[in-house]
Amino acid sequence: MPTMTVLGRQYDLEARRVEAALQGALPEPIHEHFMVINGRRWPPKQVLALVTGLDRADFTTHQARRALTRLGFTAGRAVASRARHPQTSSAAAPPSPRPSGTGHPAMPVTEALRPFIGLWVAVRGDDVLVAAPSPAEVVAWLAKHQQRAQSMFRVVDSEQAITGAAPQ
Amino acid sequence: MRFEFRALPSASGGALTPRPVVDIALEGLDVAPVACLLDTGALRTRMSAEFAPLAGIELTGGLTEDFFVGGVKTSGELARVTLTVTDGADEFSWDAPVWFCDPWPHPFGLAGLEGFLHHFVVTISAYDGYLEVAPGPGLQGS
Repeated sequence: MPTMTVLGRQYDLEARRVEAALQGALPEPIHEHFMVINGRRWPPKQVLALVTGLDRADFTTHQARRALTRLGFTAGRAVASRARHPQTSSAAAPPSPRPSGTGHPAMPVTEALRPFIGLWVAVRGDDVLVAAPSPAEVVAWLAKHQQRAQSMFRVVDSEQAITGAAPQ
Repeated sequence: MRFEFRALPSASGGALTPRPVVDIALEGLDVAPVACLLDTGALRTRMSAEFAPLAGIELTGGLTEDFFVGGVKTSGELARVTLTVTDGADEFSWDAPVWFCDPWPHPFGLAGLEGFLHHFVVTISAYDGYLEVAPGPGLQGS
């Protein structure tokens, strides 16, 4: 089992424990580095703080990233909001979407939404900023993190769920 | 302003048919514009009643109507609100009647004639998968 030593104390880390610790939590905004866990992008320090209970000031992003990578999670780096290049890829990592507003159709963006079927999402350009069970939670997250979305909607997975809103 | 059709993932893989969607911000909820399906056949502009309190809109004693959308009976309450559309460069705001509906199980709001289409010149290019929205004569941008 991989371990991590912080301030002289050793922490045992396990992938399943990490995944379980993130259940019910919402990822904070990605500034540069992120980890792909449970099909979503997470700031490395947020993940490690949730798993270990450590204060984020006690470790660096690179320490967190290294520890989580050793557990088998995919690490990525948001170079820019419209030009992102994950360093590695895995089945859990949604492919980097193509910038919106050019060409057609927007399939990569669609794939980025796939992990969030059934949830409300706030998106901005290429990025899914947050996904949550209700619009209230989405808006609360945006307010808390001083983020502004381009669009908010619920991700459905059937034609019927969309055409149901159109005139019959 | 140009809006690409919105595609959502299909449960069976691939994507659902991309739809014409416009992101409309309610005054008070401009951090999260609501995706609205462009509905040329609809008289009203409708959204989930969940959005009203998030935008600070009080729904008390306004005009209400019951109707069916997609086989679901729902009740809508009318409020006049300021709406905004933007593509990041241009921005247009207008006062509009919006019906806030409960229940609203649909993934998008509906942008109909009153509240949206009457204010804009809308060009739909379904072949290329986008729609263009230009302000009507009575609407000034900022």
